[in-house]
Amino acid sequence: MIASLGNFALWLSLAFAIFQYFCAQKKSNLNLISIAVKGLLIFSLLSFFLLIFLHIVSDFSVLNVYQNSHTTKPLLYKISGVWGNHEGSMLLWILVLTIFNYFIFKLYNSKNFTFVSKTLEFQAFVTLGFIIFTIITSNPFERIFPAYENGLGFNPILQDPALAIHPPLLYVGYVGLSAAFSISVAALALGNSENVPWYNYMKPFVVTAWTFLSIGIALGALWAYYELGWGGWWFWDPVENASLMPWLLATALLHSLIVVEKRKSLQTWVLLLAILSFLLSVVGTFLVRSGILTSVHTFALDPSRGIYILAFTAILGGYSLFLFSGKSKFYSSNKHLAFFSKEGSILVNNIIMVIVCSTVFLGTIYPLLIEAFTNNKISVGEPYYNSTVIPIIAPAILVMGIGPLLSWEKANKLETLKKIFPNILITSLITAIFFLIYRKFSFIGILGIFLSFWIISNNLLFIYKKKINQSIAMITAHLGIGFLILGITGSSIWQEEKIVRMRINSDITINKYNIFFKDVDEVVGPNYVALQGDFEIYDNKKNIITNLQPQNRFYPITNNFTSEASIHTNLFRDLYIVLGEGNLEKGWVVRIYYNPLVIWIWIGAFTIFLGGALSVNSNLKKLKKI
Amino acid sequence: MKKQFFKIPIIFFTFILSIFLYLLIIDRNPSEIPSNLLNKNVPKFVTKSLFNSKKFFSEEEFGNETTIVNFFATWCKPCRDEHVYIKGFAKEKKVRVIGINYKDDPEKAIQWLKEFGNPYSNVAIDKNGKIAIDWGVYGIPETFLISSNAIIQYRHVGPITKKIYKKINLIIEKTD
Repeated sequence: MIASLGNFALWLSLAFAIFQYFCAQKKSNLNLISIAVKGLLIFSLLSFFLLIFLHIVSDFSVLNVYQNSHTTKPLLYKISGVWGNHEGSMLLWILVLTIFNYFIFKLYNSKNFTFVSKTLEFQAFVTLGFIIFTIITSNPFERIFPAYENGLGFNPILQDPALAIHPPLLYVGYVGLSAAFSISVAALALGNSENVPWYNYMKPFVVTAWTFLSIGIALGALWAYYELGWGGWWFWDPVENASLMPWLLATALLHSLIVVEKRKSLQTWVLLLAILSFLLSVVGTFLVRSGILTSVHTFALDPSRGIYILAFTAILGGYSLFLFSGKSKFYSSNKHLAFFSKEGSILVNNIIMVIVCSTVFLGTIYPLLIEAFTNNKISVGEPYYNSTVIPIIAPAILVMGIGPLLSWEKANKLETLKKIFPNILITSLITAIFFLIYRKFSFIGILGIFLSFWIISNNLLFIYKKKINQSIAMITAHLGIGFLILGITGSSIWQEEKIVRMRINSDITINKYNIFFKDVDEVVGPNYVALQGDFEIYDNKKNIITNLQPQNRFYPITNNFTSEASIHTNLFRDLYIVLGEGNLEKGWVVRIYYNPLVIWIWIGAFTIFLGGALSVNSNLKKLKKI
Repeated sequence: MKKQFFKIPIIFFTFILSIFLYLLIIDRNPSEIPSNLLNKNVPKFVTKSLFNSKKFFSEEEFGNETTIVNFFATWCKPCRDEHVYIKGFAKEKKVRVIGINYKDDPEKAIQWLKEFGNPYSNVAIDKNGKIAIDWGVYGIPETFLISSNAIIQYRHVGPITKKIYKKINLIIEKTD
C-alpha cells in the first residue's frame, strides 16, 4: 500500500517535471511554473519519505527493503540504508535536484523572467532525465511476492555515522553543480540578449555545492580512515576520484566567478567550467553505477543502467558543449589580464586546478583507455597520483598565499614583496623547527610544511591586520586549506607502521610509545558479535596514556567480518590499532600506526566548510540586493 | 582560429564517451594477451632481494624448474585479491613462485607478506620499475609462467581469477 503510494508519488513528480519543462519553455505565466516547481518538490519529498518509512517499518514486500535491510538493524542505519543502495540513492539525488530547482525558481524578479524560465527549463530536463532513469532501471518501490520474513541485511562497513551523512552531503555538492550547469546553458542559449547578472545567480549555487562537496569528501576520507583499517585516509580509488574531480573544477569555478563579478572578464571560461563540473559529476555517477570500473564502492551492477546514464550524459554534454562551441563568442571579451594582479593569480589557480583535474581524470580512465585499445587490464595506483598531483598543485598553493594580497588590475611588485617578507621568514623558521622535532628529512615534507605555514601565517596576518576588504569567509576557507596541507603532509611523511603477530601479555614499541597487549574479550553488539582486543599504551616515561580497544566484528546476517580500528588522537598524532586474525596460541595479527598530525586534516576540512558556509551566507545577501 | 578553439570540449567529450560506449557493449572478459617475449628467454637482471641483503640474480633463479613470476605491490588492490591464488600455486608445490615487488617500499612489502602470507620463495625488488619495463609489463598485477629451461610460456595481465588459476595449472601440467 505505502509502496504503491510511493511509486505513485514518483510518477507524479515525473509528470510535474514534464509540466515544468513545457511551462518554462513556453514562458507561460508565473503561476503555472510555480505550481510545477512546487508540485515537483512536494512529490519527490513524499516519495523519498515514503521509502524511508518503508525501511523503518521493515516492509519486506518491497525488494529494495528486503535486499538492504534487516529487522535487527539500528534505526539510524535503517534510515541511512535508504541512500546506501543504488535505487534509494537515486531517489535522494532526485530530491536534491528538485530542492535546487526550487531555489532557482526563487531567483525570479521583474527583470529576469526569460532568463530564469530558460534555466528552469534545463533544470526540469535534467530532473526528468534522472526520474525516468530511476523509474525504468532502478525503481526502489518494486515489490516482491511473496514477501520475505526478514531482509538480507546491509553491508556492515557502511553502517557508520559518518557514512550515514556522507552521501547526502556529496549529493548536495554534485547536484548544486546542476544549477550552475542550467544557468550556464541558459546563458549560452539566450546568447547574452537578456543582460542579466547570471554570474551573480550562479555563485551561491557554486559556493553551496563546493562547501558541501568539501565536507562530504572529508567525511568519506574520515570513514575510510577509521573503518577500512589501513591506516590511510585516501586511496585514489575511482570513486574517490569521481568526487575529487568536480571539487577541483568547482574550486576553479568559484574563483573565476569572483573575477567575472569584479572585472566582467573570463565569462566564457566560467560558462565552460560550470558545464564541465556538472558533466564530471554525472560521468562520475556513470563510472560508479555502470560497473565499468570496479571499486570498493561499486553498487549492484546492471548494464542497462550504464547504457542509460551514458545516453543521458551524451545528450546533456552534447547539447551544452555544442551550444558552447557556437554561442560562447557572445561572452568573450578582449580585456587584457595582467599576470601580477589578483585576477592573474586567480587565473593561475584556475589553470592549475584544471590540470590537476585532468591528471586525476587521466589516471582514473587510463585503465579503461588501455583496455579499449589493447584489451589489457591494469591498475593505476598511488605512485602515479603522488608523483603527478603534488608537483602540479604546489605552485597553486604558493600563489594562494599571495593572491589575496594583490590588488585588482595591476599590483605593485615591491610593495607586495614588503608585505610578504615577514611571512617568508616566519614560515621558514617554523619549517626548520618542524624538522628538528620530527628529524626525518624529506623534500616533499619540507615543501608541504612550508606551504602549509605559508598559507596559515598569511591568513592569520590578514586577521591580525584586520583587513576588512578581505572577506572573512575567504580567510577561513584558506586557513582550512593550510591546516589540511599540514595534516596531509604530516600523516604521509612521518607515518610509522608496524604489522606484527602479538600474543597476550606481550608488548611492542612504536615511535616513543610502548603498547602492551593485555587481553582479548568477546563482546556482543546490536547486530554483531566481536572480538575486542585490550591494549594499554604507555609513553617513554612509563605513564599510561590510554587504553585502546580495536574490534574484529562478525555480522552473522550478511556473513561479513569488519575490523574497527581504535584510535587515540591528539593535536600532534594519532595512535591507531587494528586487530587482525589470530587465536590464543599463535597470537593475533596486530596493525599499529603512528600517524602524525592527522587531526589537522579533519580540522582543516571543517574550517573549509565553515568558510564555505560564511561565503554562502554573504553571497545570498548580495543576491538579495540585486 | 578562435572559433575552432571552442569546439575542443565537444570533440574531447565525444571521444571519451565513445570509449565508454565501446567498453559497455563489448564482452569484457579479461583476456590474456600474447607477449612479445612469449617463447623467448627470460630477460636477465640483477637486483636486491627483499628477504635478505643478498643480491637477486635472475640467472640463478630461473632455468632450474618451472617457475611462476608475479609482479605485485602493496599499493595495488587487485594484487591483494589475487594473492590467495598465488598462495595456491605455492601450496601445490608443482612450481616455484618468484615475486617481483614493483615500485614499492620494501619494508611495507615485508609487512604485507607477513600479514597475508608469503608464497614467494624469493622476491626481487624493482624499485624504479626497470625490470618491469624489460619484461614488457603493462601494469600490475601481472603473472608469467617460465619453463624449466627459462623460456616464457604464458603471460597473464591483471589479477588472477579462479578461471585463470585453473588455466595456468593446465599449462603447468602440459609443460611437465
